[in-house]
Amino acid sequence: MSYAHSPTARAVLTSLVPVICPLEAEPLADAIVAHMALTFSATPALLRRILPVGFTAYDVGALPRFGKRARSLSLEQARTYYARWERGPTPMHVQFARAINQLMSLACYEQPEMMERVGYRVGPWIEQVTKKRLTVYADDVRAQERQILAPDPLRPHAKKEVA
Amino acid sequence: MVTALKPTNVFTRHDLHHDTVIDCDVVIVGSGAGGAPMAAELAEAGFDVVVLEEGGYFQTRDFTANTSQMVRELYRDGGATIAIGNPPIMFQEGRAVGGSTVINGGMSWRTPDDILARWRDEAGLDDLTPKQLEPYYDRVERRIHVAPMDEDAIGNDNWLLKKGADAMGWKIVGNLRNQAHCVGSNRCAFGCPTGAKQSALVSYIPRALHYGARVYADVRVSRITFHGKRATGVIGKSAAGHHVVVRAKLVVAACGAIHTPALLARSGVVSRSGLLGKNLSLHPNVKVVALFDQPVTGWKGAHQAFQVREFADQNLGCFAAINLPPSIIAMSMPHRGRQLGELMDDYDKMVLAGLLCEDTTTGQVKTIGGRPQAFYQLSPHDAANMQRGLVLLSELLFAAGAKRILLPFHHAKELASADEARRVLGQPIATKGWEVVTVHMMGTARMGSDRLASVTDAFGFVHDVDRLMVSDASLFPSPCRVNPMETIMALATRAAGHVIDHSRRYLA
Repeated sequence: MSYAHSPTARAVLTSLVPVICPLEAEPLADAIVAHMALTFSATPALLRRILPVGFTAYDVGALPRFGKRARSLSLEQARTYYARWERGPTPMHVQFARAINQLMSLACYEQPEMMERVGYRVGPWIEQVTKKRLTVYADDVRAQERQILAPDPLRPHAKKEVA
Repeated sequence: MVTALKPTNVFTRHDLHHDTVIDCDVVIVGSGAGGAPMAAELAEAGFDVVVLEEGGYFQTRDFTANTSQMVRELYRDGGATIAIGNPPIMFQEGRAVGGSTVINGGMSWRTPDDILARWRDEAGLDDLTPKQLEPYYDRVERRIHVAPMDEDAIGNDNWLLKKGADAMGWKIVGNLRNQAHCVGSNRCAFGCPTGAKQSALVSYIPRALHYGARVYADVRVSRITFHGKRATGVIGKSAAGHHVVVRAKLVVAACGAIHTPALLARSGVVSRSGLLGKNLSLHPNVKVVALFDQPVTGWKGAHQAFQVREFADQNLGCFAAINLPPSIIAMSMPHRGRQLGELMDDYDKMVLAGLLCEDTTTGQVKTIGGRPQAFYQLSPHDAANMQRGLVLLSELLFAAGAKRILLPFHHAKELASADEARRVLGQPIATKGWEVVTVHMMGTARMGSDRLASVTDAFGFVHDVDRLMVSDASLFPSPCRVNPMETIMALATRAAGHVIDHSRRYLA
């Protein structure tokens, strides 16, 4: 599991942050793009090999229409260009655009600032309920832990019978 | 990741410093719902058991609030696994000691009697009666502590689901889950951080270890070895690159319905039935996001506390409320830019609800270059049924007070009323834009009495091969309509009993 963004991938993804993420996430662009590298590192090797091709195709694909690479488009142009990929012209374009949307949205809302913004404060919640379980239900929790290890053979007199 | 309190008979990539040869009675490939109970039962019976797991070994304290890190560490391919079709169906598998039980919701249900009757009638599995299976289900339920939820752990999203079902007059049941006082952290899918969910990781695996089994994590098995028609062990490689050879008297493949057929295929196993890798069913799921005008805070409270079962006999297994972290919801929505921000700002007012379809068609797993690839084409019948299910689910959510509903289709408009749901969803909707997911893969090494129509016998022994078993949902002749974990465990327990009863035959 290893992956590092190529310069093209990094430039394309950075240019897509204002297209895919909400305005308030723009200051987090570097962290979002870095997070996507972590996600890509866990994806299948074949996908990791295809990604650079996809980013290059996306980058240079803007040239015929806009006269410049995707990474250099204005925000409006970038939105228009991304929308074209999202709707076609081939299923490959659609899947690439959707995958980038999905993974960038994931990376965006994995940022602590964005989780705080939507009120998702799960760390303290986990601490709170863990403590509750280990105090309010302590006896039952210990009983279950004992049950896990207590002898209870599936067959009453089973024993190893290897000739 | 964990070393300080790791049991001495758990070995990870950090413990294997060179090529290793291991001798044992039974080698089990996979440590989830199929592998772990088998390991525990056979170890307690006195057999020398080795479990190989491709994923890592984690403990409860390793499960944190960092969602994406948990996905990367606990899910195969970071969760980016897809069954190719139109639409492509994203599926998830656990890849860690404990298997998918580490990342599932913990729903624990027995396979309905009519499904068992179908398995008896269509696959000749005459002994799979509710009565015959009862002691195994009982045993599993005791071991993994299957119980209803404590009421104070049920979150608002689930109470709203119940409110809607009650308003519609529909059957809704409290979920049975493998939990010992779940307190509603709602992190089931990312490793239970409280230890309440009794996954195989905290139940069967510790039991297996207690009775002497050895667990090797971070080891990917490449193939099963044979002497003639007899399986003799497996060959694999650790994550550190060292070869691992296990010589065993009995080999058990428990890698799940995607990887078990691939392991068998790349080991040269050919089923005369032609069904190895075929018969893949998925329980396709679709979901909607319902927005209420008051805070729901669905992330505080137990995952899927209820199931709506009103339409279970119409191939709509259940409706359930399934809260997910904001990042996962954002990922699953087609919105972007300002629209995404506006939607997610209402995260606290969302109820995420899904439906499970008992599918009537099948796909297959092909082994390409040694790796499995699933192919599955959603049938028009099932798509229409799911579309109907979305109407019903929308009606329920509007009855519960939802103000608008987002559908799982790209470029779909929001719904503002039940009437609009009926109107919009009454039209055909091309499936290519659907967002369909699943976590229930089944059927790719189906069991049965006829070796020309099944891959294994009724206990999971592969036909025409000696001492090779399958123990996972691959065995299911058809979809089981409910969450499959408990049935996988019950069948594994039953199979372990069969092995113990016939140990001279299988382990001499």
